[in-house]
Amino acid sequence: MIDARSWKKKRAARFGLWFLYVFTAGGVFITGGCGASDGDAEKTANVTYIALAAKVRGLDPGDIGDTTSSAVAAQVFECLYEYHYLKRPYELVPRLAADMPSVSDNGLVYTIKIKSGIYFTPDACFGKKPHKLTAADFVFAWKRIADIKYLSKNWWIFDERIVGLDEFREYTKNCKTAADVDYSRPVEGLQTPDKNTLVIKLKRPWPQITYMLAHLPTAPVPVEAVRYYGKDIVNHPVGTGPFRLAKWHKGSYIELVRNELYRERFYPSEGEESDRQAGFLSDAGKPLPLVDSIVMVIVQEDPPRWFLFLNGKIDASGIPKDNFGEAIDRRGGLTDQMKHRNIHLEVFREPSTYWLGFNMEDEVIGSNRPLRLAISHAVDRQKYIELFTNNRGETALGFIPPLMKSYDPEIRQTAGGYDPARAREFVKMARAAAGGELPRLTLSIPGTDAVSRQQGQFFQHCFEQVGLDITTDYMDWPTFQNKIKTKSAQIFMLGWIADYPDAENFLQLFYSANESPGPNNFNYSNAEFDRIYELASAMPECPERTAMYRQAERIVVEDRPAVFLMHGVAYLLHHDWVHNYKPHAFGYGTAQYRRIDVEQRLRYGR
Amino acid sequence: MTAYIIRRLLYTIPVVFGVLLTTFLLFNIVGGDVTDRIAGRAASAETRAEIRAEYGWDKPLFFSWDSQFIRHMTNAATFRFGRSWIDREPIIDKIRRGAGPSLMLTVPMFVGTLAISVSLALAVAFLRGTWFDKIAVVVCVAGMSLPFLSFILFGQYFLAYKWGLFPVYFWPDLSPPQYLALPVLIGIAAGLGSNVRFYRTVMLDEMDADYVRTAFAKGLGPAGVLFKHVLKNGMIPILTRVVLAVPFLFLGALLLERFFGIPGLGYLMIEAIGARDFQVINAMTYIGAVLFVGFNLLTDICYCLVDPRVSLE
Repeated sequence: MIDARSWKKKRAARFGLWFLYVFTAGGVFITGGCGASDGDAEKTANVTYIALAAKVRGLDPGDIGDTTSSAVAAQVFECLYEYHYLKRPYELVPRLAADMPSVSDNGLVYTIKIKSGIYFTPDACFGKKPHKLTAADFVFAWKRIADIKYLSKNWWIFDERIVGLDEFREYTKNCKTAADVDYSRPVEGLQTPDKNTLVIKLKRPWPQITYMLAHLPTAPVPVEAVRYYGKDIVNHPVGTGPFRLAKWHKGSYIELVRNELYRERFYPSEGEESDRQAGFLSDAGKPLPLVDSIVMVIVQEDPPRWFLFLNGKIDASGIPKDNFGEAIDRRGGLTDQMKHRNIHLEVFREPSTYWLGFNMEDEVIGSNRPLRLAISHAVDRQKYIELFTNNRGETALGFIPPLMKSYDPEIRQTAGGYDPARAREFVKMARAAAGGELPRLTLSIPGTDAVSRQQGQFFQHCFEQVGLDITTDYMDWPTFQNKIKTKSAQIFMLGWIADYPDAENFLQLFYSANESPGPNNFNYSNAEFDRIYELASAMPECPERTAMYRQAERIVVEDRPAVFLMHGVAYLLHHDWVHNYKPHAFGYGTAQYRRIDVEQRLRYGR
Repeated sequence: MTAYIIRRLLYTIPVVFGVLLTTFLLFNIVGGDVTDRIAGRAASAETRAEIRAEYGWDKPLFFSWDSQFIRHMTNAATFRFGRSWIDREPIIDKIRRGAGPSLMLTVPMFVGTLAISVSLALAVAFLRGTWFDKIAVVVCVAGMSLPFLSFILFGQYFLAYKWGLFPVYFWPDLSPPQYLALPVLIGIAAGLGSNVRFYRTVMLDEMDADYVRTAFAKGLGPAGVLFKHVLKNGMIPILTRVVLAVPFLFLGALLLERFFGIPGLGYLMIEAIGARDFQVINAMTYIGAVLFVGFNLLTDICYCLVDPRVSLE
């Protein structure tokens, strides 16, 4: 007779073993051949592998508004000017232009000669006849940005700048459909006296135009491509650059390959003194691009991006917040683990400033300067940088970052820093100014994740230390933007990364005509500031202009429409097989300068 | 049965209409205006007006023949969802492109989870009260308690990065079985806890039934009793769970797709939510609702096929 208990136990053991077997066998079956490929073939190719932190939205330069798409399109398209790859401070040099522009005495007419013999990359849209670049291609591209039917995100570049272009935009408003817009309609301020000459007439002096002519949306686009691809042109970039699009698996990866018909261009032979020691000039005079192709894989999450970098799959990476301690030691250098992997660190200043902005139209905070000063002295900036950026930042007391030529080191004296005792005095003055107790303040934070909430708690703590009552409101980015645009935020957390190395790009954020929904999110208005801004922004670079920029900054800091928190400092890592890796704050299409040592890459991890 | 199916199909009309109305109200009234995001920085009022005209947002919401709601309904009925405002790509193209990768991930995950969890549940139910059962229950509860993200991070760190058994992430030179193996395995492992617990309960209900004792008394072996009788009688709750899960397979796996670079519909949905691309969210919600209603009907038909006691009237 079988004992029921032992029978069950025997079967239990048998079932246990059976499932163990099934799991093991299944595991072996699934993993068989699935391990990370050795990838030797890919490692020996002269390719640079880049991880993109967001999806690419489109590769039509006229409508590009995000940094990821710009990073890809800038390898395919070229502008009239570009930033010198090595020289600092950042300096513009001709790219499609033959020389720097010739400017009339009144600063209103720019004459630009375009290099001859440049062709767009061969494409089905041209048929058999290649398209040679002419000045008319620029005129077409810029009229297209002005065309309201095209709905470009970049009209702000030319808005109220070029004679006749606003009128062209007005004309397009009356066209029923996009197809009705007549691009042959002349624009007085955009003339092409010959095929290689472009004359731009401005409505008022605009010295920053040269920076805009190095900005990707102003790149020439061939009319044939626009007509041939229609709305699908976002997927078919046709430029004059060193690379052309080979594959684009949307949401996965993009492969760009060398443009075989690319003209002769060479790696720069001038740079800073330190560039020679760093080896950045060892490829001087070599034809560009130095790599045959670029593979850009979209990796939106930090952990896989970090693992791919450590595995040697991607050539360079930023450092995720959670892995900072693994990469950087307490002295700010690389850890032994990183050194052992022959990983290199590049640290560079970003053209950025982050702040807690005040809505100057808010009746509580806008009319109470002592309250704004109290908040400004209450925030421990250094602690903020330490807690939330792993010390990747510099304390900000003004808004012009140290990387800009017009940065004013003396601004600290005007602003004063973290000083809780002083903040408490200002709180008393603020109460007196308000005629009683201060109401609860509201801080809007763009983000609902854990880090955003920790930031909210940090500011709440800073405010409470000096006797201010504050509540934090966390929201997603679109809601936040909407709140800013409709002037309904009281205090908000935001920042700005400059588009070009001219402090005017920061000053415009405080110009009263730019109030929300424009870029002046503070809705700040000061007649003296406006006067200086209008004068200085029309001046070419000179010591007088620098002095005026600094004066304007001091006016803003005195009024304190924001608590300036920090200027960003970027930490970038790259493997030793990547040569000429010099970070650039404004240049996007820099992959052409990189050289890959495939032998070194092959040795990695062996 | 035909009359029943026709009646059920007619019922789907108000359900789908309700979904369309809800999504319309949510995205067009509560959701707010995204015109500024399309227009770019410092856009003028005219630019915003032009954008509103382009997307039909300048039309009345309801009470007009060319109202936004009528257009919303017509688009849904014809599966013409327009273009995404993020990249101006036709939404239907995005959905077509994403469905394949999503199904490649979710179908093996689903089938694997189902096969393993039903088999384990049968074993655990059969061995109720033994060490195997107790350990299984503890492991299941632990598995259910762990966040899905923990499974992903654990798998990606140890199985892929540290031990090199799998690729860390999608890579252009890898074939789908190679880069999908780890996310599928993680998906199966993460789903086992709750599924085994559920199916164990279903099986236990059956194991206590008289017919099981009768079957054993007649001399049938455990395999015969379990697979021939218990499993068959437990099919109704299994079917309900299985068939209703199928529509969600089309919608992809949000986190897995994002962490492993699989360009499926889950990834698309996350992206659309983050960017407030209501056109895409709306299309996905609508397709999800239609599939859900369809598979609900299919569940009822399957009941009838697997259990002769059920008749559709």
